[in-house]
Amino acid sequence: MDRKSGRRLQRLRILSQFLFLVLFFFLLARLAGGAAAPPAWAGLFFYLDPLFLWVGLLASPLLRPFLLALLPLLLTLLLGRFFCGWACPLGALHQFFTWLGARRRRRLPAVARAWLRPKYLLLAGLLAASLFTVQLLGWLDPFSLLTRSAATVVLPGGNALLQQALQAGPRPLYELGRRALLTVSQRSFLQAAGIGILFFALLLLNLRRRRFFCNSLCPLGALYGLLAKFSFLRLRINDACVKCNACAGGCTYQGGPYQDYLKSECLLCGNCLADCPAAAIDVAFAWPGRRQRPAVDLGRRRLLGAAGVGLAAAALPLASPSRQAVPHPFLRPPGALEEKEFLRRCIRCGACMQACPTNALQPALFQAGAEGLWTPVLVPQSGYCEYECHRCTQVCPTRAIARLSLGEKKQFKIGTAVIDRSLCYTYADGYNCAVCEEHCPVPEKAIRLREVEVETFRGRRRLVKQVYVVPDLCIGCGICESVCPRSDRPAIRVGAEEEQRQNPAG
Amino acid sequence: MKRRAFIQNGSALATGLMLAPLVPAQAGAGSADAVVQVRGASPYEITRRAVTELGGMKRFVSRGDLVMVKPNIGWNRTVEQGACTHPEVVRAVVEMALAAGARKVVVMDNTCHKAEDCYQRSGIAAAARQAGAEVRFSDESRLAVHDFRGEVLGRWPVFRDHLEADKFINVPVLKHHGSSGLTMAMKNLYGILGGNRGKLHRDMGENIADLAAGFRSHLVVVDAWRVLVRNGPVGGRLSDVEERRTVIASANIMHADVAAAALFGRDARQVESLQAASARRMGEIDIAKVPLRRLDA
Repeated sequence: MDRKSGRRLQRLRILSQFLFLVLFFFLLARLAGGAAAPPAWAGLFFYLDPLFLWVGLLASPLLRPFLLALLPLLLTLLLGRFFCGWACPLGALHQFFTWLGARRRRRLPAVARAWLRPKYLLLAGLLAASLFTVQLLGWLDPFSLLTRSAATVVLPGGNALLQQALQAGPRPLYELGRRALLTVSQRSFLQAAGIGILFFALLLLNLRRRRFFCNSLCPLGALYGLLAKFSFLRLRINDACVKCNACAGGCTYQGGPYQDYLKSECLLCGNCLADCPAAAIDVAFAWPGRRQRPAVDLGRRRLLGAAGVGLAAAALPLASPSRQAVPHPFLRPPGALEEKEFLRRCIRCGACMQACPTNALQPALFQAGAEGLWTPVLVPQSGYCEYECHRCTQVCPTRAIARLSLGEKKQFKIGTAVIDRSLCYTYADGYNCAVCEEHCPVPEKAIRLREVEVETFRGRRRLVKQVYVVPDLCIGCGICESVCPRSDRPAIRVGAEEEQRQNPAG
Repeated sequence: MKRRAFIQNGSALATGLMLAPLVPAQAGAGSADAVVQVRGASPYEITRRAVTELGGMKRFVSRGDLVMVKPNIGWNRTVEQGACTHPEVVRAVVEMALAAGARKVVVMDNTCHKAEDCYQRSGIAAAARQAGAEVRFSDESRLAVHDFRGEVLGRWPVFRDHLEADKFINVPVLKHHGSSGLTMAMKNLYGILGGNRGKLHRDMGENIADLAAGFRSHLVVVDAWRVLVRNGPVGGRLSDVEERRTVIASANIMHADVAAAALFGRDARQVESLQAASARRMGEIDIAKVPLRRLDA
């Protein structure tokens, strides 16, 4: 292919990456905001992900939307890792940062094959662990990683920065910006630091090594790489080659078709076609032959080792107290399945957190065990479960949070509120308060008042309307805890007592 | 006198004479303490009628004023559930304020539920925009400390938008309230406050009275079209809502609340905030002594 066509292809690829990135953020925005429930296609990228097809196959009943992921799988058998090069939105970001870095470092060392290996081992380990119900694919899956990072770090952080910047400017500009760009209330997430450090570190690593995440860590890239080995599309050097090795200069895995062609690593980015001065690289379809150069050397022993580590790692959480799980100090979103099945399905993508209008859903740290890292927990001191909303139940791609109609969600018991009489003003201080009672959304009121004569701390007797909870009516939405006016610690708190967790039938 | 001025003055006088018979003749109708209560077939019409009977919006809004209209948009509830002010009442008030020459009308509240949800579901944002108001969300970065100089309530953060307005029109909804019994115009002023408002639920009646005494409502229009009679202030169940098809207007916030309490079927003397207001000499607590006119539209 001549250079001009190569450049055209390259530009087409960049355009495609850009459009998929825009599509990704468009769908992310559809998860949040608006009164209507988000459309099912807002989860498109997840349904196209073969790793989650695996999760969907392990779930019972199996999750049919993920059959969509057969499409990129088949296309990969035909074309190779086109998805990584042309469609993956996280890949697009990595490509952009690689481009930034490449402008500064003109000469990069040739590929070290050892750097291409970890992703395959990670994939082996993660898949092995998932067989034993410890499903951690979402930690590194590109869509989970990007959705989670964008929802909990990039968007809220960007909003906060923009707000600060606008406030420094003239007021009319601030008003305009606030209307057009800012969210009405600033969102914040408890684990933003950890999620953000991982995300930005991965992006910055591109400055040292091209598409570091895609080449070295991405489990989805590994899966596509395994298939790409057997794909039909390939690059071939023809007789015009002048052996200048210019094709390695822009290669995303630092190999290039002349020096070190690895079909499993080639992202079809087209850089080599655009860089070749001699039109010496052809794009051809060929029956995947036996006489190929060796691909990344995984080694049976290493692969089995990785799977073994995955299994061993799975054993740790299986034996941890969080799996025994009787009393536990966290709330799950409404509709969450039984903990074991919930963890098996949850892909830590944070779609529910993006969808939650009140910022109540937060990524867990270790309260649900180490394996529960970044799974959603409902934190009433951050927000409450809005009575008129069931959005999180509509967006969970793997239905770790079951689809609930609004009517079903209103009845769903997330937990139960308990009054701490040593803190509540109406008991401890003998004052009227009742903010929690006011906010209780249950029409029959799960928080009620009764007039009682008490002795105040000043020793006076007076009538006080004391609040109490009707446990059978309480749905555990947490608005009471979120509005309790105490400054030290809410005097009414929701715990998982009587939480309603059940798996789908069949 | 110039001819043009003569003609202008003359036509103004003529208009005044023509309109004179329309102005209610009863004593006190134009006084600051008067209350008009109108019952009728449309929330929009009875709102207009009540303000007109009180002397017209021009009595309260001057040409060029920046007017703040403060409905109760506190909850993510529909108009049928009666937890927020009826959007048609808000629309009528905004239209009248603009017609009276207001430079700008702003509609705003500091909600209890998430603001966007409340503004949207209540129908108030759409109605206010339709009427020509600017619909604004409360912005934490726009808080300023205001001194209410009350008996229990002193300095407290208030959204500047309310302090900057030339005129403040208080447009609450009448409804049941668990801890304070009823919520009406005086309680509606919680919506101008920022900070940890929940703390003000201690001695709530006293705080409400201080709030109303320390921040002037130039006009009060109480929506009692649908009244949430139980399980307020958030409600939710339609069986707890009764249609009363009424609007109450007054320039005296306490009198508006006394009349609203009476409409609810509650003696003002049993409402803590009104006892406190009475102690502060904000008006009559005895409904019989309130200059109230009840009309059917």
